[in-house]
Amino acid sequence: MTGDRPVVLIANRGEIALRVVAAAHRIGAEAVLAASAADVDSLAARAADRVLVIGPAPAAQSYLIPELIAQAAVHAGADVVHPGYGFLSEQPRLCELLEEEGIAFAGPRPDTLRAVGDKSSARAVAVAAGVPVSKGRTIADVHDVHAVAVLGSEIGYPLLIKAVHGGGGRGIRLARDEAELVSLAPQAAQEAAAAFGSGDLYLERYYAAARHVEVQVFGDGEGGVLVFGDRDCSVQRRHQKLIEECPAPDLSDERRRILHESARAIVRELRYRGAGTVEFLVDTRSDDIVFLEVNARIQVEHPVTEEAYGIDLVAAQLLLALGRPTGLPEVPPVPPATAIELRITAEDPAADFRPNAGPIGAVRWPSGPGIRIDSQIESGCDFPPYYDSLAAKLIVRAHDRAAAIDAARAAVAATSIEGIRTSLPMLAAVLDRPEFRAGPVPTTWFGAQWESLKEALA
Amino acid sequence: MNVHWKDKDVAQDSAPSWQQLLDLIERLDGSEYDAVAIEFGDVSVRMSRGGALPDPSGAVEHAPAPGASRGGGGTGVHAAADLGAAAGDTEASGPVITAPMLGVFYRRPAPGAEPFVQPGDRVEPDTTIGIIEIMKLMNPVTAGVSGVIAEFAVEDGAQVQHGQVIARLES
Repeated sequence: MTGDRPVVLIANRGEIALRVVAAAHRIGAEAVLAASAADVDSLAARAADRVLVIGPAPAAQSYLIPELIAQAAVHAGADVVHPGYGFLSEQPRLCELLEEEGIAFAGPRPDTLRAVGDKSSARAVAVAAGVPVSKGRTIADVHDVHAVAVLGSEIGYPLLIKAVHGGGGRGIRLARDEAELVSLAPQAAQEAAAAFGSGDLYLERYYAAARHVEVQVFGDGEGGVLVFGDRDCSVQRRHQKLIEECPAPDLSDERRRILHESARAIVRELRYRGAGTVEFLVDTRSDDIVFLEVNARIQVEHPVTEEAYGIDLVAAQLLLALGRPTGLPEVPPVPPATAIELRITAEDPAADFRPNAGPIGAVRWPSGPGIRIDSQIESGCDFPPYYDSLAAKLIVRAHDRAAAIDAARAAVAATSIEGIRTSLPMLAAVLDRPEFRAGPVPTTWFGAQWESLKEALA
Repeated sequence: MNVHWKDKDVAQDSAPSWQQLLDLIERLDGSEYDAVAIEFGDVSVRMSRGGALPDPSGAVEHAPAPGASRGGGGTGVHAAADLGAAAGDTEASGPVITAPMLGVFYRRPAPGAEPFVQPGDRVEPDTTIGIIEIMKLMNPVTAGVSGVIAEFAVEDGAQVQHGQVIARLES
């Protein structure tokens, strides 16, 4: 630390790196970016006060090496490392390396990351906190057909086969009956072993028409917790979120109370430190609410909560890690405004969402009240092929949901990104749908509607 | 005219040899391009007649550290610096060896031991010229090129970044 000016090392890229640079500057800190060779000219690199080139473009040789990030933090003279989302954000190893060097980590403690890092232990935390969980079972031996069938009938069909160590919606399979379960399980175990290093599987009940609702929490690390409302992230394609909103629409007071109290109980149980999200499945055909997982990081969709409540969660993460007061307020369970986020990805919806990278031409963003753009692109930049396809997030805020949808639709129409294909036409098609406007839709809605939505693209 | 080629299909282990790069320069020398950037998998090569390289990172004003390169490829071969020679830049005249990652660079296998190589020593692509330490993990640095070491550009024990010139070879 030079004088009173703390140093923040940002161990990420893309729009979230730029977001953390902005937060660092807001709290009067120096922002140092740990960048791969592919990102030395990124918007985040130019916004940062210093850039350290850590390694070559492939993430496996740069952003994914905990030792490299810790070494960069030492070189930078960092007081705190912000990991963003993805990459090393939920890796206890980075957190531990930093602790050894006396550098703070803007995230939960390593023991918390371990406790919520795999589905079985996260579920155990939820059970201990008295939070509703689905009937789930861990498969001991995928080749013991009889035992697998017994587990399946205990849960009931349809059910989901999940990789215990999976994440990001990957490694999940649907089994509609016993025959499907016994035939898919060995295959799923093999794939899980290849993708996640462990073939352990977990079965849980599948809800055909449920919503994805999550609660934003912020813990002080000693059991104290602030709850910042909820988000509905039910517009999903293959378990990837496309559109998120805050607050979740059409939740009864009772359901909202259960969600918020459950999230609060988990945070207290974990003595959770910093920003986190507790995800739930909210069934539309029954009163069931089921705990899904804890995301022990800042999430892609955090801006809708920030906009709806007028807070800065990333700055608060940094302040907490620096041992300073976060200044976060107590807020009501429902915010005074509605915010909607649209994820603009460099994918071609007309070609099965094929990612496309390369030179970007002119970029034009919308303007107007309540519009926020969190982006990694600008006119004339090059979209690198090495990383995920999220190019920008368009966030709009209005006094209620209908006004926010209108604002979002107008903002999409006023946005243009030349040179690459993006998800913008798909987002426009969703916003135009009466079912979305009426809301809320279940997570299965987008997939079921895709064929007809696609026609609106041309 | 600027061009920027990427060949993502080239496997990482098919990094071009120094001779291949020289051949490439010769071929492009007869062409009409002012500036060229080519990527072979992990290796990127940037060339310019006028000194203005097509690497977008060249536009960044605040250099990360003295002597550090802002862009570049993944292996020890870094062709950008020396190619300025063709454009009348006399400062750097030979091939260079760059750091494959950020870390602390050591010229010796252990404190007090003899350096891996000295100026004047001949190196081959697989010759170890030093070690980069990241949080107690020791990563050998190989020359990546053939030639004779002219000088080291960084001190023993210096903090280096990916792409930073560690040593220059005689031209």
